[in-house]
Amino acid sequence: MYYVAQVIRDECSKYNCKQCTLFCPEPNTLMYKDEGHHAFVNTLRCKGCALCVYVCSDLLKRDSIEMVYAENRDVAGVR
Amino acid sequence: MSVKIFKINEDLKEFMPQEIIDLEEKATWGNPKRGVMDLPYAKELIEEHSLCAGCPESVAFRYILASLPNPEDTVIVNSTGCSSLVFPHIALHTVHPLFGNQNSVASGIKRVLEWRFPDKVKDVVVIAGDGATIDIGLDCTLQSFFRQEKITTICFDNEVYANTGGQDSGATPRGMEFKMAPGGKQWDKVPMWQLAIDSGCHYVARLSVSSPKKVEQVVKKAIYVAREVGPTYIHLYTPCILEIGLNADQGLWEMRQRDKERFKFFEYMTDEAKEVIERKKKEGLL
Repeated sequence: MYYVAQVIRDECSKYNCKQCTLFCPEPNTLMYKDEGHHAFVNTLRCKGCALCVYVCSDLLKRDSIEMVYAENRDVAGVR
Repeated sequence: MSVKIFKINEDLKEFMPQEIIDLEEKATWGNPKRGVMDLPYAKELIEEHSLCAGCPESVAFRYILASLPNPEDTVIVNSTGCSSLVFPHIALHTVHPLFGNQNSVASGIKRVLEWRFPDKVKDVVVIAGDGATIDIGLDCTLQSFFRQEKITTICFDNEVYANTGGQDSGATPRGMEFKMAPGGKQWDKVPMWQLAIDSGCHYVARLSVSSPKKVEQVVKKAIYVAREVGPTYIHLYTPCILEIGLNADQGLWEMRQRDKERFKFFEYMTDEAKEVIERKKKEGLL
């Protein structure tokens, strides 16, 4: 039982902000890809604090990250 | 101590975990212009750690380790507390002395390094919690400022003894209640930044870790001033979300609230420090 962050690629690639990667408390968990211009989550490292969702949705109003339920954290970091 | 010690023997490379190989290939070594904007791409010098989900202290660690201008020649001295749980996961030289004597140990390390490597720049950084800096180690901390040791002291202030259950510390503001201090603190918060100024620190800053760029600037300034002039002190607000009773995603919100009141950005520098900072700005390092 675990919730991990997942980036919505179509929403994220509209912006070039990278703010979520700076505010994530876990090292090398939320990273940015220059090809495609979107962030992605290393779900094996994500602890599910949802701070990235606070930054993306509440502060920046961009709604590009969501928390998804993962049995064994076996979800892709982008959808 | 040089970048060479992070090089992996080619014959053993196939047995190494991917994280160690990344550390050699993708980490930002040997570039004094490194900063928080490397975080989205580069391998960080901190690995998966055991701090709570959403802990603001771990964000502080990410920013500080990304901002060190000379990580391969930096020694970090830490002290007991939540922060000491992270040091086994850091790819730098770290020293864990007794609770409270971190600035004394750092003074000794800095003096020996200056004597042993007179032609090289070696930075010594102290990272300790508010209990170690302001309560238990206050004498060692202030004495190192009085002696004008060339070290940088960074205090992670969460305003409580968090990992022993929530006793009030010297840094707790008046009236604040915690699990093991139900009556509320009876005295005022120790203004450690002011004590640092009075004790002879050449660069003092007080801020929360809600702004990555600001933390980077402050850490770089403090280290450059400590190299040439004398002691520097940074007071960082890293709230304990568990002890305050917040959710995992509310750490940043809490820091943004305190930015407006008791952790409003404050910076002090002496004339010598100002001269160093102006020079480094001209060189493009700040």
